[in-house]
Amino acid sequence: MMKISQDFAPPFKLIAPFFIIGGFFYILATLAVFLVHAQDLVYTSPVVISFTHLFLLGFVMMTIFGAMAQLVPVVLEVGHFGVELFYAIWTLLLIGTLLMVFGFLYSPALLPYGGMVVLISMMIFVGEIFLTIKKVKKLNLVMSSVLISNTFLFFGIIFGLLMALSYAGTISLDISQMLRAHVYSVIGGYIGITIMGLSIVLVPMFTLSHSFSLTPLRISITLMSMGVASVIGSALFDVEFLEYLGYFLSFLSLPFYFYIIYIIYKTRPRKENDIYAISMMFAYSAMLAAFFLAIVYFALHKEVFLLASAWVFFFGFFGFMITGHIYKIIPFLVWFERFSPLVGKQKIPMLVDMVPQRSSQAQFVFSTVGVVLVTFAILTKSETLLHGGASFLLFGALAFVRSMLYMINFK
Amino acid sequence: MYTKEEIFKAISTVIDPEVGFNLVEMGLIYDASSDDEGNVKVTMTLSTKACPLHQMILQWVKEAVEKLPDVKEVDIEVVWEPEWNISMADDNVKKALGA
Repeated sequence: MMKISQDFAPPFKLIAPFFIIGGFFYILATLAVFLVHAQDLVYTSPVVISFTHLFLLGFVMMTIFGAMAQLVPVVLEVGHFGVELFYAIWTLLLIGTLLMVFGFLYSPALLPYGGMVVLISMMIFVGEIFLTIKKVKKLNLVMSSVLISNTFLFFGIIFGLLMALSYAGTISLDISQMLRAHVYSVIGGYIGITIMGLSIVLVPMFTLSHSFSLTPLRISITLMSMGVASVIGSALFDVEFLEYLGYFLSFLSLPFYFYIIYIIYKTRPRKENDIYAISMMFAYSAMLAAFFLAIVYFALHKEVFLLASAWVFFFGFFGFMITGHIYKIIPFLVWFERFSPLVGKQKIPMLVDMVPQRSSQAQFVFSTVGVVLVTFAILTKSETLLHGGASFLLFGALAFVRSMLYMINFK
Repeated sequence: MYTKEEIFKAISTVIDPEVGFNLVEMGLIYDASSDDEGNVKVTMTLSTKACPLHQMILQWVKEAVEKLPDVKEVDIEVVWEPEWNISMADDNVKKALGA
């Protein structure tokens, strides 16, 4: 287990834009669901690709980058190499994401520009993280996961840029192969391994768990890394065997990760079901559901199951994993900056006082119903269910942003 | 020279902002003693090794003990053995955490 220090943490004003912009992209992603047609749903449609980039780039990556800006120096116990670079990172990621989404929907010629801006943003992020890690003398498992995930991000954005150039007709490439490498590098390699590494810091911290072995996590990260590398290899060298080996290794890694989370939850002293705990329970249930749907896809080879699996994995697992942690991370950061200097001098709020109960619960209820309805809409190709689900998701996203702004402005 | 109970009482003003209870109620303060010169030694733990407020909580404990008259030095030793568990907390804490 690692020791955590706040001594090197950046100021909240540097982190806050990542969360606020991420929240607004979360709303935009739910609005994009309204544009999707359940009857002719394919993962290559511009609307689906736009939704994916709004959600993954705008919400997931933006929020993870903000969290990493805070957590990396805290976990590594060294200061950032260049903390001011994070002002450029969120600005470029915001502009690049909007350009890309607009490009997918209306003007493919914008894609290389959007891709290039996103590339620069991510390159700055990856470079900054690598240079920060370089200051560390000895890597532990969590630090190693940061290093591995950022290496995959580096390759993921290169593949994404090549795809953007190909979409615009600048170069000629097999886009479907490059897409596989891009998706696997970014989602499995970066987002997946980042969540694995950081959740083993955050989940025990918030549940007060300890005394568990990290071996399952070590196995899980190793298998996922090998799986992602194998899929990338299959795309680059056109070897089908490597692709299926990669899928197998990635799937194999999930039970090990799920096992360590199960152990943490089973042994947690803190058993109250606050918004964080129920969000995590839904997120991990969604991960299992996505796993099941993916198995059905491989058994039946029907694309709706793959789309439903990806949907549940994105909005159910990533979405709730992130929103749940926001209800812990933002109150802590605001409390740390605004109230910790007043300890012993005046009455100050507890972290739980800073979480708006009603809007956080509304967010949870609306978003869970939305995720379930859209999943059934994808499987049954029902337009009515899809728009009903999107409406729930939109209200959930609005409640989430309302909660977030309440916590950020808490006085 | 202060008794263990007097030092514990001073430390009981330090609240864990995440859990909302004081460190003594949570069972995080294992031992405390003082000598005639005003040197106080506190042995304590934290609810998790990954506590982001590690340094800050130690500072709060130090400041709380220093408020006792004639205290000169406060030495805080953080130990992980025995590891904290919920059975060390008092009943109010257990109830609040759902344990």
